[in-house]
Amino acid sequence: MMWRFGLFDSTAFDSTFEPLVSTYWALCIALALPLLLGLLAALFPPKRMWPVALASLPLLASGLVLLFAFEQAGLLRWQWQIAGVSLSLRLNGLSVLLLLTTQWIGVAAALYTPGVLRLGEPEPLSRWLWPLMGALLSALSLIWLATDLLTLYIALELMGLAAVGMLLLSGKVAALLAGMRYLLLALVGSLAYLLGVALILGHWGRLDLQGLADVVEPGPVAWIAGALIGAGLALKAALFPLHGWLSPVHSNAWTPVSALHAALVIKASLFMLLQLWSILLPDTFYAPRVIAWLGVLAIVWGGFLAWRTDSLKILVASSTVAQLGYLMVVFPLLLGPDIAPLSRALAWEGFWLQLMGHAFAKSAMFLAAGNLILATGQSTIKGLAGTSRRLPLSLLVFGIASVTLMGLPPSSGFTAKWLLLEAMLISQQWWAVAALLVGTLLTAAYVFRMFRYSFDESAPRHRYQPLAPGMDLIALTLALIAFALGLLAHFPLELMHGGGV
Amino acid sequence: MIASFDAIETVLALCLTAVALVCLFDRHLVRACSFFVVFASVMTLAWWQLGAPWLAAAELVLGVVLTGLCFFYALGRISPGDSPPLTYDSFNEPRSRATARLLLALAWLVMVGVAIRYVIADMVYSPAEHPLLLAGVVITACALAAFALHRHLLRRLLAFNVLGSGVFMLLAGIAGTSAAAQALITVGLCIAWLGSMLGALLIRQLVHLEGADALGRDGEPKERAE
Amino acid sequence: MNATWLPVTTLATSLLVVVVIFSLPEEARRLRTTVNLLAAVIKIILVTLMVGRVSAGYEDIFSFQVVGGVDFVLRADALGVMFAGLSSLLWLCTTIYAIGYLEGSANRKRFFGFFSLCVASTIGIALADNLFTFLIFYEMLTLSTYPLVVHSGTQKALDAGRVYLRYTLSAGVVLLLGAVLLHHLTGDQSFSSEQGLGNYLNDHRGLLTLIFALLVGGLAVKAAMVPLHGWLPRAMVAPAPVSALLHAVAVVKAGAFGILRVVYDLFGIQLSIELGVITVLAVAASFTIIYGSLRALAQEELKPRLAFSTVSQVSYIILGIGLFGPFGTIGALAHLLHQGLMKVTLFFCAGNYAEELGIHRIDEMDGAGKRMPLTSIAFTIGALGMIGLPPVAGFITKWYLGIGAVQAEMYWVIVVLVASSTLNAMYFLPILHRLWFRLGPAHGQGQWPKEQRLGRLETHGWLLWPMVFTALASLGAGLLAGTPFSPLDWATRVATGEYLP
Repeated sequence: MMWRFGLFDSTAFDSTFEPLVSTYWALCIALALPLLLGLLAALFPPKRMWPVALASLPLLASGLVLLFAFEQAGLLRWQWQIAGVSLSLRLNGLSVLLLLTTQWIGVAAALYTPGVLRLGEPEPLSRWLWPLMGALLSALSLIWLATDLLTLYIALELMGLAAVGMLLLSGKVAALLAGMRYLLLALVGSLAYLLGVALILGHWGRLDLQGLADVVEPGPVAWIAGALIGAGLALKAALFPLHGWLSPVHSNAWTPVSALHAALVIKASLFMLLQLWSILLPDTFYAPRVIAWLGVLAIVWGGFLAWRTDSLKILVASSTVAQLGYLMVVFPLLLGPDIAPLSRALAWEGFWLQLMGHAFAKSAMFLAAGNLILATGQSTIKGLAGTSRRLPLSLLVFGIASVTLMGLPPSSGFTAKWLLLEAMLISQQWWAVAALLVGTLLTAAYVFRMFRYSFDESAPRHRYQPLAPGMDLIALTLALIAFALGLLAHFPLELMHGGGV
Repeated sequence: MIASFDAIETVLALCLTAVALVCLFDRHLVRACSFFVVFASVMTLAWWQLGAPWLAAAELVLGVVLTGLCFFYALGRISPGDSPPLTYDSFNEPRSRATARLLLALAWLVMVGVAIRYVIADMVYSPAEHPLLLAGVVITACALAAFALHRHLLRRLLAFNVLGSGVFMLLAGIAGTSAAAQALITVGLCIAWLGSMLGALLIRQLVHLEGADALGRDGEPKERAE
Repeated sequence: MNATWLPVTTLATSLLVVVVIFSLPEEARRLRTTVNLLAAVIKIILVTLMVGRVSAGYEDIFSFQVVGGVDFVLRADALGVMFAGLSSLLWLCTTIYAIGYLEGSANRKRFFGFFSLCVASTIGIALADNLFTFLIFYEMLTLSTYPLVVHSGTQKALDAGRVYLRYTLSAGVVLLLGAVLLHHLTGDQSFSSEQGLGNYLNDHRGLLTLIFALLVGGLAVKAAMVPLHGWLPRAMVAPAPVSALLHAVAVVKAGAFGILRVVYDLFGIQLSIELGVITVLAVAASFTIIYGSLRALAQEELKPRLAFSTVSQVSYIILGIGLFGPFGTIGALAHLLHQGLMKVTLFFCAGNYAEELGIHRIDEMDGAGKRMPLTSIAFTIGALGMIGLPPVAGFITKWYLGIGAVQAEMYWVIVVLVASSTLNAMYFLPILHRLWFRLGPAHGQGQWPKEQRLGRLETHGWLLWPMVFTALASLGAGLLAGTPFSPLDWATRVATGEYLP
């Protein structure tokens, strides 16, 4: 399991050579540029799409440079010593993939933002969105790369605070209340994480993941540290039943913020959870199963919430809870004793494909939902009546994104589901198979409930606000990426094999 | 055995626990906030005593001065503006919910206790050797209970800060004051300060928009709460 | 020599036209029509090329890897090309018809976009070479049909759409489970693989039976076998060209075609017989045939009567499989084409009556033969074919099925055939009687429900000529059954391939 995260003793494989200078620069750009650009944008807020596009070019380029560097060198590592504390980063196939995902979705959200800010009424706080967004992207990139608990802690907290700040910016009372609750829970969650780290540091005396992977042995300390870290991160990742804060937060936030949050922020906590548990609890039987059972409940409950709600944004947010359930159900195939290697490999691929597909699809869905709400001026599902005639493109994007969420072909959701189902069949986990299939139907139920209203022709005509043309296209691009990942899944998954054994 | 009994540490631990309790369970908000400043000052002394002067400095700047300022800003004592300052928490919790939350906090306490028992095995035989660690456990448990119990957002924010200090104390007690531990605690202090600042701004904005009643609703919009 | 480009181009033509239609504005009616018709003609040419290639003994394959162990494969084999030919021919006819039918109505861009997507999916289904690829297009078909079913946006249409989705998506989930189980058991199983699944019979008899049940059960929903047919009559609220397409080639036929693929190309006839599932299939088909005919008899409106007639007729194809002999197979395959031609004619006629005269109920049809002679002649041809009278194509099918039953010594099938033909006559002949021999508004008695004079001829030319063409085709398929490249000839070629490898 550990090598999959790029955490193995590299001297044994001799696969790392000295990173090139260009790679250092690419790393610096990938980590620091979003923050710097965000600060710059706070001083001079961009009013159009093109300055944002221009500024994000070096960022995307840095991601590609890192991709090529990884393809040439296999695993890359960096390490620094500062005042007796060592910080370390690594770049393996998985980190490259997640980094690219983050950059693309981040840039898409940033491109979308000027349009929203221009259409909405001017807000005094809107310029603060930029530095927060930058900090968020920097922190996310750092999370995918970091391999010691201190760096992870810094990145996690930076991400959490930036996320809370962004969600608050709309300034409505409901948003403030939901945000305050999220803030307090996130802070307490990070204290739980910190306590877990304290136990690890006290017992084994080190914080680097690779070293820990060698020395950690199962025992009460590992269990309790795992439980503390797990609880803290599960709270931040909105895993069922700790998802209560998610919907209110999203229903009042600005659209690009929701897109970023649902697509990436909660995934980052999940990523950390899986990575740390694979070190602390590699062979426990019960912990991953508990997660999986909660996942089954999450699929059902999230689907039910999304099916019952009247608000479009809550529908999308609740569907996140259910979709996270798919990922939780996979846990017993990734962690635990006696898993068939083939099953674990398939589950591993399916897990990340599902995660990336969901990230793209969910961000596309939030952007499309935001477009629909902006154009119609109504945030309820009933308010969408008749939109299929007037806003076909937004609705089409919503449709393409929801195909991915339903896991119907030819989307990445389908390919991921295929892989996961096969992995579950190999290890004979029939209840997980049932959960996945029921999830498909539940998703279809709430998605088509929404489409049903949109096809209603008997609805009265409203005056629709025209949108900037790019806004739909950005969402469409994201949705199509989620689609393309389905049939072209071979290429990203191949990356995850590379750099390993 | 008795020789290792450290008088200063014990006094500090007792002080910390007492101040934290007042800070957590006093309904008079100004007094609670003042006690938080006292609490942070005692924490500074404790760090000094543990041989971590940099940490003491960080606690003094971040914990005492900046976080203290945040709380008094949230109370409306600094630049009061047009909304009235907060003085007293009058929200009440149903008894059943309070019991459930207390039980959760207790479970937490047991788990942390067990963990520490395994990490520092000799503590079972001489608990008095680590008075600050013990204080950390008690403070964490109380703060968690307070956090779960209170509805007033300011008091929850206070509880979070005390909880944070308790966790830092635990961290220092378990892992010593190595460079890595100090780095973790410093980052934690920064985060706690940033979080408190954000929280204080939020509270002020909420009071400005909705009045002091909004602080007890725990994420529920007004329509449903009434 | 492997002309990889041929199947890809055929599929891409249909998909490209979807993209073009969606990107054209709603008002660009002329351009859209041109693109649509041009693509349909190009596709017929491409399919003709494929027919030539197949009859020359080549099978063109296009494939790429999706994930490890799962490939996306398109292959032009005899059976697939047969279905592709039907689909491309009827696409041209129904498109022309639809252009006339939807003259001046709203949402035409959406309609033609999804209409083309629907046909593209059937081409994909026809050319798919493994279950994974098949499933991709099968689900695409489900999703692209939904907007067509609910096109009118009325409450009734929306309800029908919901029922349609309930049936088809649940079936899709069952099918997915079956496909993954099979993949888990055998790896990537190509439809063209020579050895079939015979090797697994000894060890996995129960599992194979389960997989067969799941696959065929999932497909039978679209093939509208009783008791899974509930969606079909409700879906009649869709516009006439959609009904025509749905019944003649797209959805219903896709199900039947899928069952053909599963029995002949996946399991193989020998294995299916040994599993004992074939007889069950034949009994279910017979039951469906009789039940569908009885229900058709009870309908008082024209379109529902035709719908139940479809339920009954499609099961002839399944029955032909159940006879496990070359003649039964030929009958089944030929009926796939014949029924498509005849049923599309009947639906075109029903649409014409409704458009020109406002006729929906059967008792309103008195004397319509005088007012609309061409339409009524076409209807007569179709109806006689359905009953199975020579020289219309339907006769050929029943004849071959009868011979097959005798050869297989399944005499009860003959009883079913006779009973069903009698029932067919009982529900079609009264209509013909009304058309030709009763006096109605055309003779000055009463008036038509809602008469419109749509063209110089008896109705609009766009509505008339496709219908005349398909009527002539169904007559020709019967009269010229002995000539090369007739449906019967091609069906014989496919059947020979199955029985004499």
